[in-house]
Amino acid sequence: MIRRKCLKLATVFAFGLFGWAGAAAAQTPEAGGTLIMVVQPEPPTLASYLSTSGPIGQVTTKVYDGLLEYDFDLKPIPSLAESWDESSDGKTITFHLRKDVKFHDGSDFTSADVQYTFMDVLKKVHPRASSSFKELTAVETPDPYTAVFKLANPAPYMIRALSGYESPIVSKELFEGTDPRQNPTANAPIGTGPFKFVEWKKGQYVRLDKNENYWKEGLPYLDRVVARFIPDAATRAAALENQEVQYAAFNAVPNVDAKRLDSIDGITVTTEGYSMINPMMLLEMNTKSLPIDNVKVRQAISYAIDRQFIIDNIFYGYGKPATGSISSNFASVGLYSDDVHDYAVADRIEKANALLDEAGFPRGENGVRFEIVHDIIAYGEDWQRLGEYIKQALGDIGISVTLRYEDVPTWLKRVFTDYDFQMNSNFFYQLADPVLGMHRQYLTDQIKQGTVFVNSSRYSNPEVDDLAHLGAEEIDPKKRSEIYTKIQQILAEDLPVIPLVEMQFTTVYLDKVKNTIVSPLGAYSSFDQAWIEQ
Amino acid sequence: MKNFWQQYSRNKSAVFGLVVLFALVLLAASANLLFPSDPFKLLGAPMSPPSSEFLLGTDSLGRSVASGIAHGARTSLLIGLVATSVAVLLGTVIGGLAGFHGGKVDNLLMRLTELFQTIPSFIFAVLLVAILSPSLKSVVIAIAVVSWPTVARLVRAEFLSLRKREFVQASITMGMPSWKIIFQQILPNALSPIIVSASLMIATAILLESGLSFLGLGDPNIMSWGFLIGAGRSILRTAWWVCTFPGIAILLTVMAINLVGEGLNDVLNPRLREKDQ
Repeated sequence: MIRRKCLKLATVFAFGLFGWAGAAAAQTPEAGGTLIMVVQPEPPTLASYLSTSGPIGQVTTKVYDGLLEYDFDLKPIPSLAESWDESSDGKTITFHLRKDVKFHDGSDFTSADVQYTFMDVLKKVHPRASSSFKELTAVETPDPYTAVFKLANPAPYMIRALSGYESPIVSKELFEGTDPRQNPTANAPIGTGPFKFVEWKKGQYVRLDKNENYWKEGLPYLDRVVARFIPDAATRAAALENQEVQYAAFNAVPNVDAKRLDSIDGITVTTEGYSMINPMMLLEMNTKSLPIDNVKVRQAISYAIDRQFIIDNIFYGYGKPATGSISSNFASVGLYSDDVHDYAVADRIEKANALLDEAGFPRGENGVRFEIVHDIIAYGEDWQRLGEYIKQALGDIGISVTLRYEDVPTWLKRVFTDYDFQMNSNFFYQLADPVLGMHRQYLTDQIKQGTVFVNSSRYSNPEVDDLAHLGAEEIDPKKRSEIYTKIQQILAEDLPVIPLVEMQFTTVYLDKVKNTIVSPLGAYSSFDQAWIEQ
Repeated sequence: MKNFWQQYSRNKSAVFGLVVLFALVLLAASANLLFPSDPFKLLGAPMSPPSSEFLLGTDSLGRSVASGIAHGARTSLLIGLVATSVAVLLGTVIGGLAGFHGGKVDNLLMRLTELFQTIPSFIFAVLLVAILSPSLKSVVIAIAVVSWPTVARLVRAEFLSLRKREFVQASITMGMPSWKIIFQQILPNALSPIIVSASLMIATAILLESGLSFLGLGDPNIMSWGFLIGAGRSILRTAWWVCTFPGIAILLTVMAINLVGEGLNDVLNPRLREKDQ
């Protein structure tokens, strides 16, 4: 808090000195105004403790605080927890809570709320709790402003899962004795955040008004945040163009329009604010299906695909070629390694052909080695283009591909319940730590028939399992880095999943909207510092 | 037959339609000769404008639009013909049974027909394809299912009026079995309106198929005009040629088929023609 005050003072000082310079980087925030953001699609509920569905988080993070926030290096910074200490064995984390915080209904925020939120709500119903809070056995509350997290084993990743997006703090009073799945706050959230929920006009908007009693002195600047729902993509782009809405994150404006809007004065397009989300585009390979079970076939396929082509021609230049199973955004915390099998080499087509020959699939009379069916993620036309490209790329190395494009439920059932697929395109959020995001796609205990977005390749390698369990509990950053380097090397050889592109989502906003992207959570942050130039 | 041509060629626009249609069939037939490679093949730089190398330019992935149109012509014609045939067959059987038997059978079959007619046909087709998963077969089924009711009503009306005629009454008195009366006596006399409406239905079927592919509900492995337009829609501002040429192809085809249908109508329904004059 002191640091923040100092910063603010410095800002004021700087403005006094350099204010005449006009649109200098340091401007004094102006209070007031309404921020209209477009959220796509309309969220099904506003229960972020119950569902990680993207649009929910974009709304509820303004209402719910978390124990912590994060800086751009993914390092935790104080929020509801003023400070925290970790025991040397990594099994006890003590959070010291702020004393001046009230929920929107006027009740005090205490350690009992923290205990109830984690033990009785998140651990029971949050979809990612089984990985994030697997080791959490108890939250002790020695006094109203101290919460002690007891872990069965060290869990260095847990500290990065405590944001208002990932772990919203709810009021014990409102939840106690009820089933968290049925709680009325699901559609009318009550938290401690900078904005209070006012109303939800289904099909149109959610309105959030300024929390006058917010615990951060002088914040928020905005009087109101409105999340609007506009189903048609072209209309969303047009709404930004004529300044009807001011902010659109998570590709609500399609890439093709984002590129166009970027060239218009007064509109900014950025790919920042997604480094705790880290979407990875990939191909899931069914390791139990012929001939995909052959590792040489999987390697040949990986060689055959030109990742830069996908980025340039299908995703309009937004993205980075993936080099391995962990996003390069994790380089800042030392968990990314590029010291792995490189598939983007100059003679990749020759290598692919050689591998397929070695694997015992010579070209037939018509140049075809074998046929496979490729399922396309059911999320719209860019993905269909991706499928069409992959079909051509694999055709060049003699693999004849038939495309299959189905509706979302059929596709999910085919891939994650029936395992009735050979090669499937998909994207996974890698989130803020490999344990939270990447593990669920590769570990043996993540082969969970019927659960979506887990290990559908049915890859099972005891060595990777052991390393991953070590990595999950290792608190020494250097050792942890070595473990994950090893994992990435193994996965790049085995390729149960072929990483394609580190996707870059875009946020499009009007230049007069300031300070909306102040953390790696981007649109999933609270907007307490956001303001609008009048 | 000579008489037929004489009458048909009086309608100049119908002749024009026939010429366009013929050219289209030729294009579809020679697609593999003109563009031997897979129409999905990435041949050149993405979004290159029309040039001598790519007559009609390339799309967002570098596929030749001209090749897509030629191969797409096959799909459009094939689906138009097959779906229409299925629909005509189904419609004729149901309408014929209803019109011939009358009474309870008629009532039942016509209520069924109305049930199908009350659902907006395009939305129904989208629903069917979504349920059956996009493939050539499911697109044909969907188009046929939404198209047959009009044929059924038409055939029923024809049958209702024909079965009261003397020659049908005579056949009944002679003890001819029903199926013989239907196929030998009534159907041949009801054929001309069926042919005319079927020719127009081909145009509708092509439009339906294009609409489905445009929405991404076509068979992902088969090139079609609607697919080209759907895939080019998002880049309309930067690469106009991707949508425009397939659009023109659809326009010309549908127009040509309609003109031919009208020409057929003139020839096969002479009374209408005389009235016009």
